Amino acid sequence: MPTHGEIQLEELTKRFADVAAVDGIDLHMPPGEFFTMLGPSGCGKTTTLRMIAGFQRPTSGKILLDEVDVAQVPPHKRNVNTVFQNYALFPHLDVAGNVGFGLKYLRCTKDEQRKRVAEALDLVQLCDFARRKPAQLSGGQQQRVALARALVLRPRVLLLDEPLGALDARLRKGLQVELKTLQAELGITFVFVTHDQEEALTMSDRVAVMNGGRVEQAGTPREVYEEPSTVFVADFLGVSNLLTGEASADGDGCALRVGERTFRARQGATSERGEVKAMIRPERIAVEEHGTVGENRMPGLVERAVFLGNSFELHVRVVGGDLLKVTMPNDGTGIPVEEGTAVALHLPAEALRVLAPSSPPVEVA
Amino acid sequence: MIAWLRNPWGRPRALAFVTGAYIIWSIVPVGIAILFAFNAGRSRTTWQGFSFRWFTGSTGSVFHDPALQSALKHTLLLAAITVVIAVPLGVTLALGLQRWRGRGSGSVNTMMLLPLVTPEIVMGVALLLLFLKVFPSIGLGTKAQAIGQVTFTLSYVVVIVRGRLVSIGREYEEAAADLGAPPHDQILRVLLPLLAPAIVASAAVVFALSIDDFVVTQYLSGDASTTTVPMLLYATARGAPSPALNAIATIALLITLATLALAFFVYKRFAGGGGDAAVAAIMEV
Repeated sequence: MPTHGEIQLEELTKRFADVAAVDGIDLHMPPGEFFTMLGPSGCGKTTTLRMIAGFQRPTSGKILLDEVDVAQVPPHKRNVNTVFQNYALFPHLDVAGNVGFGLKYLRCTKDEQRKRVAEALDLVQLCDFARRKPAQLSGGQQQRVALARALVLRPRVLLLDEPLGALDARLRKGLQVELKTLQAELGITFVFVTHDQEEALTMSDRVAVMNGGRVEQAGTPREVYEEPSTVFVADFLGVSNLLTGEASADGDGCALRVGERTFRARQGATSERGEVKAMIRPERIAVEEHGTVGENRMPGLVERAVFLGNSFELHVRVVGGDLLKVTMPNDGTGIPVEEGTAVALHLPAEALRVLAPSSPPVEVA
Repeated sequence: MIAWLRNPWGRPRALAFVTGAYIIWSIVPVGIAILFAFNAGRSRTTWQGFSFRWFTGSTGSVFHDPALQSALKHTLLLAAITVVIAVPLGVTLALGLQRWRGRGSGSVNTMMLLPLVTPEIVMGVALLLLFLKVFPSIGLGTKAQAIGQVTFTLSYVVVIVRGRLVSIGREYEEAAADLGAPPHDQILRVLLPLLAPAIVASAAVVFALSIDDFVVTQYLSGDASTTTVPMLLYATARGAPSPALNAIATIALLITLATLALAFFVYKRFAGGGGDAAVAAIMEV
């Protein structure tokens, strides 16, 4: 395990006039991990990244880089480097000039500078482009130059501000894999900012889901997807069905009264009482023959059935008026469904998750 | 006839006519003035054949009349001094104003534009009083003229350079800082190279403004040695006219046009998109 490149944010706050863009967040980014801050625009993720880079001065709080508070250190004295959203390559310098820009400040000889520039260009497979100007490169190539320019300085932490945002979908997919591989090889801590949940899930070791300047939940991709602790996280990561009901005690889980029916839920905040929200992912709902009865089952009518090749996406109207989204795998075992088919839905108790009411106190992974 | 003019599917002929008439009205007198710079005779109204005598002839020509020569030299000297002082000062001001985002920055920004709209005669009178009463040690003459020209050309430099700064944005400085460059290197290694087109363009604009200036330069002039081309043209146009005046006016016009063309070319070629303020400022001159 790498021993440096650890970031710890403590009570970090940034106010612009009266608005708190970042509202007292605590986050731990372990050394050598791919850490992603995920959230909609305006959630404070970019401001947090810019505070770690040093472009924004925190209103209060600490930024510990390997246990040293750097919150008041100017950006040119921090051993972290940034890949900017639009790359910010210097248009008047060629690729080699861009990549070598920061080496001047590392007190290494001209020969070593040349060697490191060549190595960095080799790392991103751009050796043949050293004499090109940024304007003569494609978007993907510019992105690699930006990456090489930051990595050549061997930073303890690499900050990436939506670096794939400006690329087309096909290129994005390829670069997602490349970035993740590169990070694993180099063992440098990557702090990645994105609003794309799929990107966050596929690349990260750890994800912090942010909203309104606060961290809603932090954890591994599986944790935040499968065990969302708030309505926001459940909704932002993938598709989810939300049920509102009255919770009461029931053995090791809780009983959720939704309209005329009672469901058992064994996941999440099952100790909550009173009105709560519960969620279930579309792929966890089972579609059964109409008339099947039993625990956590209810009848419904298929309103829409969309064939997606490997699965069907169903919109099922259940008694009581709720519309549930169901993903049914096309594996040959399901019952035939089409629009207007009456079915029974099974919401397994171990997939039904009770959510804490709105934002809970911030928990750190 | 009316139908031909009003045909909504045809070309806008009425508009074209007005535009054409204006262009002829504004260019023809200048053209005639230039033409008579090449007149073989002394007349400025009757064409007597083509000649370069008013440029290079042995008597009374631009290159042999001491008064004309002195005026041309002084004009170029003043322009050079003004460029050398106004451009670095203006670039510094532009950089400073761009960073200054606190209280008062808005009003200072507006005040930087005031010299662009202040009637020149007002500024001329004000500067005259300043040099006579407040700084009599400077007195009138070349120094006062240079200071006066710097005063009113500075705003053009600030406007052109700031226009470019706005279109560059802060990201390049941030990238430089991120890579370890201390603040002075962020400016020297990144900002100044990116600003180069705007700096060259503003230098050309200042040069052209200085060569053409009459009011401020006239007010702040001292003895005959501080007479510039526009002053000479004004003083002698009605008194002792000769085609040599047309010749020197032609030279001044050519220098101005060449400088502005250079400014326009450099800016368009190297600054890419954005910075319309600079182009507008160049065109305004």
